[in-house]
This record gives sequence, C-alpha cells and structure tokens, in this order.
Amino acid sequence: MKKRLGIISLFVLLFIAFITIWNFSYQQGLEEGYIPVEESTSKHYLPSEAGVFERSEYAVEYSNMPVDKNHQRLLKDYYKNRAYHGAPPSIPHPVKEMNLGENTCLQCHQNGGFVNKYDAYAPVTPHPEMINCRQCHVAQNSNTLFKPANLAQVKAPKVGVNNALIGTPPMIPHQIQMRENCLSCHAGPAAPKEIRVTHPERVNCRQCHVPTDRVVSDIAPFTRTKSDNNE
Amino acid sequence: MYNSLSSRRNFIKKMAQLSAMTAAAAMFPGILFASEQEAGIPNSANLDWKKGPCRFCGVGCGILVGTENGKAVAVKGDPNCSVNKGLLCVKGYHQTMCIQSKDRLTHALVKKNGKYVKTPLNEALDIVANKMKSTIEAHGKDSVAMYTSGQSTIPEGYVASKLMKGAIGTNNLDCNARLCMASAVAGFLTTFGADEPMGCYEDIDHADYFITWGNNMAEMHPVLFSRMLEQKTRRGAKIIDFATRTSRSSTASDRSILFEPQTDLAVANAICYEIINNGWVNKSFVEKHCNFSKGLTNIGYGTEDKFNFKDKPEKIDFAAFKAFLNDYTPEKVEKYSKVSAKDIKYLASIYGDPNKKVVSYWCMGMNQHTRGTWMNNLVYNIHLLTGKISQPGNGPFSLTGQPSACGTAREVGTFTHKLPKGVVMNPKHRALAAKIWKVPVERIPAKPTYHATEMFRAVDRGDIKFIWTQVTNPLVSLPKTSRYRPAMEKDSCFVVVSDVFPTPTSDVADVILPASWHIEKSGLYGNSERRTQHWDKMVEGPGETTPDAWMTIEVAKRMGYGDLFPYSEENHVEEIYNEYRQFHEGAKHGMAPLEVLKKESGAIWPYVNGKSTQWRFNAKYDPACKEGSDFDFYGKPDGKAVIWQRPYEPAAESPDAEYPFWLNTGRVIEHWHTGSMTRRIPVLHKAMPEAYIEFHPDDAKALKIRDGENIKVTSRRGSCVLPASVNKRGLPTRGQVFVPFFDENMLINDVTLDAFCPISKEPDYKKCAVKVEKA
Repeated sequence: MKKRLGIISLFVLLFIAFITIWNFSYQQGLEEGYIPVEESTSKHYLPSEAGVFERSEYAVEYSNMPVDKNHQRLLKDYYKNRAYHGAPPSIPHPVKEMNLGENTCLQCHQNGGFVNKYDAYAPVTPHPEMINCRQCHVAQNSNTLFKPANLAQVKAPKVGVNNALIGTPPMIPHQIQMRENCLSCHAGPAAPKEIRVTHPERVNCRQCHVPTDRVVSDIAPFTRTKSDNNE
Repeated sequence: MYNSLSSRRNFIKKMAQLSAMTAAAAMFPGILFASEQEAGIPNSANLDWKKGPCRFCGVGCGILVGTENGKAVAVKGDPNCSVNKGLLCVKGYHQTMCIQSKDRLTHALVKKNGKYVKTPLNEALDIVANKMKSTIEAHGKDSVAMYTSGQSTIPEGYVASKLMKGAIGTNNLDCNARLCMASAVAGFLTTFGADEPMGCYEDIDHADYFITWGNNMAEMHPVLFSRMLEQKTRRGAKIIDFATRTSRSSTASDRSILFEPQTDLAVANAICYEIINNGWVNKSFVEKHCNFSKGLTNIGYGTEDKFNFKDKPEKIDFAAFKAFLNDYTPEKVEKYSKVSAKDIKYLASIYGDPNKKVVSYWCMGMNQHTRGTWMNNLVYNIHLLTGKISQPGNGPFSLTGQPSACGTAREVGTFTHKLPKGVVMNPKHRALAAKIWKVPVERIPAKPTYHATEMFRAVDRGDIKFIWTQVTNPLVSLPKTSRYRPAMEKDSCFVVVSDVFPTPTSDVADVILPASWHIEKSGLYGNSERRTQHWDKMVEGPGETTPDAWMTIEVAKRMGYGDLFPYSEENHVEEIYNEYRQFHEGAKHGMAPLEVLKKESGAIWPYVNGKSTQWRFNAKYDPACKEGSDFDFYGKPDGKAVIWQRPYEPAAESPDAEYPFWLNTGRVIEHWHTGSMTRRIPVLHKAMPEAYIEFHPDDAKALKIRDGENIKVTSRRGSCVLPASVNKRGLPTRGQVFVPFFDENMLINDVTLDAFCPISKEPDYKKCAVKVEKA
C-alpha cells in the first residue's frame, strides 16, 4: 500500500499539474483569440471627389446641344428601374449572357447617344472605370414575384425644394458615392428633363452646389465646445 | 432648420408659387425646369434688391441682396458686376443666413468677477475709453494697441489709423492682413515701388495660359476659377497648376505639377535660367525698364522675440544675375524640388514663348512663406525678363484672401509702418497725414513698432497692456496660438474684442462690443484688382449692434479727441471716405467719387478723368505714365522695375526623424477664414461640419490609418486631434499632411510655427514639421 501511495500521489500531482497547465494554456488561448473591438471613431461623411471634373470636356457640347423634345427622359422613368433612390438601376433591355464586362456596356453607356432599337438615348455611367457592370446592374427577366413583400419605400428627393434661400443654387439631395461626376446624369440628352442642368458649361459644380445633411446622417448645427460667454 | 428667414410661411408660399409655376412649365415639353425657375424668381418674389460686394474673399464679387420687411431673404450674383457677371460661390449665395444665428452678440458684455454681464453699450464704451486713457497715463502711448482686419471697411480702417497714429500718437496698429498679404505688399514695393497688381480680372479673357503658384483657386477664388474654366472650355486656354497638393484646381487643370515645399524659390530661378539660356529674354524691355539688384542672404526666420532685419539692396548687372542663376539649372533643381527638369523646361517654355499670353496667379502659397517677399520678387522676375506684364492677358497677379485686404489694410494702411499715403518713416508722408488729420506733425511717430506676430509676443511679455481687436479672430488665425492664447488670458493685458459672434478670441476678452454685420451698416471695400466697392445699409442689426467705425469714433470722443472726429452717426461713411480720398488725389492713385461708387458696381483706381485704369504702368492705358514712354514703372524714381537676385534657402523647420511630416494648412470652399460666419450658415456647416487631416493614400497605408479615424498631430509647439481624410477632397504629396484651419474646436494653429518672412513679417502657415499618431 505504501508503495502505491507514492505512485498515486505522483499521479495526483501530475493530474493537478495537468489541470493547472491545461487551464492556464486554455485561458491564454482564449486571450490570444480575443481581438479587441475597436470602436469606430469615424465622425462624418466627406464624399470623395474623384471624378468631379471627369466629363467637363463635353460641357460646351452639352450646353450647345438642342433638346430632343420627343425623346426626353422623365425623372419618373429614371426612378422606375431603381429599387429605391440610390440603388443601382436594373438593366431595362435584353442582354446576352456572354457579353460581360469590358466595353460591351460601355459602348453605349460611356458616352451615350441615340439607340434606334430602343428609341431612346443611352444614359451615361458616372463610373466608367468599373467594368464588372453586372456585379450591380442586373436584367429584369420576369414580371412575377417569388413572394410578394412589404418593401419599405424610401422617397426619392424632390426637385425644386432643395434651396436654402429663394433662388439660391439647390443643394445636392442625394449621395454622391460613385456618382461624383455630376454631368453624367445632369447633362446631355439622356439626362432626366427635370434635373437637366441649364448651365453644364460651368463644370465646377460644387462651387455652388454642396451636399445636404439628409444624405447620410443628420449633422448637428455648429456648436462651440468652449462657449462660456453667452451670459 | 432655416428659421432665420423673415417668416417660414412666406418662404413656403414663395416656394409653392415657384413650384406651381415650374409644374406649369413641365406641361410644355422642351422647356427646362431650372431656367424657368431662375427666370421666375425676381418677379414672383416681391423683393427689394440692393447691391454690394460679397462679405467673404478678396475676389470682390458683386452681390444683390433681396430684402423683405426689413429682413435679408435672398442673395444673387450681380449681373452688372464685371467681376463675377452674376455668378457667386456657395458661400456667397448663403451669406446672409449667418446674421440671425442664435448666439449672435447683440449687446455689450463686460467681464465682472469672471462672468460676462450684459452692459449698455454707452457704459461699455466708457469702460474701454477710460481703460485706454488710464493705461496710456500709467505706461505710455506704446502700451496700448489696436489689431484690426482686412475685413474692416475703408472708414473703419481709416478711423482706427487716425485714432492710433494721429490722435494718440502711437504706431501700435497692425492687422490680420499681415498674416495674408504682407509678402505681396513687400514684393510689390521692392520690385515696383508701388503696391497692388498692375493688371485686372479682365486678363482672364485674354490669356492663353494661367499658371497658378501654390494656389487652389477652385476652392479659394472659385468665381475667378470659373471664369478661367470658361476660357478653357470655350477658347482652349490652358490652366497649369503648380502646387504641393493635388487639389480640386489640379483636377480641373490641363497639367498639375507638384513640388517639394519651399523649393518654389529654386524652380522660379530655374525658369529664369532657362529663359536667359534659351534667349527668350525680351531684351529691349529689360534694357529700357529694368534694373538688377541683390539683397542680403541667410536672413533668418524671426522665431525669436524682438527679431530685427533690414535688407541692404545693392545694384548688380545682368551678367552677375546670369552667373548667379548657374546654380539653378533645371537638372540641379530637379534633385531637391522633385519637379522633373522636363517640367521646369515646360514651364519656362510657356513663359518664354513671345506669342503666348501668360498670367501667373498666387495667394497664400507664396505669401505665407518664410521667403515670401523673395518668392513674389522671383515671379515678377519671370514676367519682367519676358516683358509679359501690364498688358491685357499678360502679367503677374497677386490675389487676396480678404474682402478689403487691398482697400483697407493696404490702401488706408492699417499696418504699423503705414499711413493712408506712404509710410511713417517718410517725413513728407507724415506731414501730409498731419495736414489732412489736422494734428501736429510731431505727434505721428516716425518709427514702426509691432507687426502682428510681434504685437502678440509683446502682449505675452507684458509690454502691451491694452489691446482692442476688431473684425478678426486672432486666437484661431495666428500661428502658434499655443503661446498667444495664454498670453491673451494674462491679467497684464486688458482685452477688448469687437465682433459679431462669440469666438475663441472673445472668450478671453474683458469687454466684448457687439458689431454690426456687413449689410447692417454702410461701407466700402477694395478687392484684389484695385476695385473700390460701396454698399448702403440694407437691414437693421439686432439689439445694440453698432458699426465698428462708429464705436471707434465714440471711444475717440470719450478720450477727448472729439474735434478730430467731427463725423455724424448717419453719414459718417460718406464723410470719412471724402476725407480719406484727399490722401490719394492724383493720377497715380485717384479714388472714384462716392457718387460713382453708389451707381456702379465698383471702380478701379487710379480713377482718372472719370475712367478706371485697368492696366497700370502701360502708357496705352495708364495716364500716369510719362509722356512718350511705352511702359513706366513710376513707383520707382527712375521709372524702372527691379529684377531681384534671390536664392533658395530652406524652410524654418523641415521634417526630421522625430517629426517626419510637413504640415500644410489652408482653407476649404465651404468655409471662410476662421469659420465664425460660415459655420453659422447651416448649408455650409452641414456640407463641411469639421476640420480633418488629409494624408497621401500611401502614407495612410504605411501608417495603417483609415479614413475617418482620429489622428493626433503634434509639433514642438502643441498638438491637435482631427479625423483622417484619405482620398477625399485633396491629396497632399507624400510626407505631407494638410489641415484646414477653420475649425475652432480643432485648433491646428496650436501646432503651427510663428516663423515669418524677415522682410514682410508674414508668418509661414504652410510649412512646419509634425508627427502623427492614432489618437
């Protein structure tokens, strides 16, 4: 029995050591596996300005172009093939599956122009550098739904109500991420009639038009961090 | 959100009228919505439109303010103004919206036991006058100071100068234009002997090339930039942007050339080298109209108190100048400027081509420079060597940042060394001032005292015991505010602040005086192209707000100088302007009579025989030129402009191992100056709610900095925390960060260095060394 006591206590010791070490390394492992969640310190949304002047070389042409009254797009139609305002528009015409990327879409959508087949002007993309078009833009091949849904409708911004003072240049009531180039949608024959700019030749659009706060989040009015002299 | 309008209901009614009209327009296909909207406004809105200059930058756009029931409710560009031809920028269109900000200073506030107590204006002015008087009695005339502004109107600057220099007899008067235009002034005086540009904005309509030197005009002078863009698109004129940061202007330009901070000096010399070596010098012009000079070198940076410097000009000849330029071959300069020799030669070939008309534009990039005067001289060298000056479409053009930096700070002369005509050092100029002011000539001291930076150092040292600031916000706009804020807080100095809104400067005031805003008073401004502009009061200010000029006059009267200020409250603007005009009589600087300014959208001086002079020093346009001459630089006694030999010298502080980044500061289109007005305009605040620190994307990647993360930027002076901006508005060059200075909640000037150009005393806000870390 005495002999066994030695062996048993040895095993007990080993077992305790094992438990301790296992526990310790388990805790260590947990700690290593834990990545502290950094709270985002992002404060506001300042839109990128890449592409502000991109189509300015066509500005004079745009301003000299006569208006083709019979083929004007309306804002209503512009929003018709978007799920909500700001969503990538769907493709309202048939496309062949194999014609993906490269210049297939850009052929018509880089610079626009009249397309006899659809009796309409091709809208101009504000981001021709992104050529995997159908990553975001898909065709609508069916008129039926799998299951009807209650889609919450976000109202599109209205035209003519974005001025801060009477007659001042309207603010930009929509997001401009990937749409920094104003002229692609606001000038040329494919521009919806209501938002077609009267002065495309000015090109430095954001000299007078700045984004509003409604675009992403509400920005509080200016406050002074130190303001002890307001009586 | 926009309750500041006369009545919300009225506004809605008008918008409804407007949209009804546009809805009608929509029924007729082919008629554009926006043109109908624009055409309809003046008629549908029953407003009273009054003309004036814009409140903000030095471009001096003509505005029309629409008022209704005594409130300003609309702003539009004045189509009759030749400056902007009906166009404004986003700040201009919304400017009147700040007036009714909730924290508007409407009454005088006097600090009593650490608290601000609302005080009747009369009593507050008594306190100011008594304090000023008792300080002078106890500590002498030079213990009181006034710090005014390039936003002061001409009458405001004039009475401040008359009070300090003519009545009290001290030169302790300087202004914030020292922080923005002093190098331009020193450049003009050293090269031409006469301040302010020789050309005008009409140059834009004639030039083939616009070369902008460290100048983001698309954001800072947007209306002029639009005029340039128009020439670019219609006529094929070319814009070349030469800068240290890729900005909106660079994107819109035909060519963007980037250089290492401070090396513009070397590149300008390299351009001259190329011009001379390729035989592009306009020899007859240089022989007839130019002298060559050199000045002292290794001139220091003024970072120490009581720094003193006086240049010693020495005449040299063309051969010596040519030999000096051998150090500046494009190949040598490309090594440290990071501008390729090819680009330098390209720039030189534009200036050198006799068939191309070139205008150079610059503003703070060249002026806020420890060698700002030199840099101004060097660009004049290029234009003088090629004879491309004082002709429509050809010339150097120094732009200004404040609406009356020219009209008030430079022409009235609210600098320590200036008088309305000439300088205090010149006995003839003192005699003229004494005569018009009706004071004994001995009273005007002959020695200048403190320039802006030194004035606040003197406050810190305790030498100045009373300071009155008007129309400016030095504790946001001075460099190294980490020193000057505690200085202003000291009990040794009594601080009076006149302003429209509370600012970090009014936070340290002992007395706060409520000032009238722009259109709540009448006044005159002078813009960059020597255009004097007048406006009449359009609306009543709230509470006890009073025009700054009138508050200065009231204090002067209380100090016993009433006989020198015999102006009436209703008519003082007119009376003061008519008195001031006497200083500039003659063909070289004659000012237009007030009747003309009331009728027209400004007039350019010299205004001679009922005509503005658009191009000075050119006999075809300028009646002040000597008879029989083609060009006459009459600012200099021999009628010759000076080509200066000015070398490259390094910046006051350059990046090193501990502080590895250049810090560049500046503005954004949405905000003007320290933002005290523009941040109270909801449209502008919401478009640009706070400052940011801009990185080159490669630097951001190397430092693992994401867009929007808080970054602490630290220099040897202080630190500041701001959100990072990567790939947004602009791209600084690698190794450089850029911060706009408008945000009083993120004071970047705690970080900047108060080194200045020893000749002009203008600080360099564009270059100091910082380190950055995640906050």
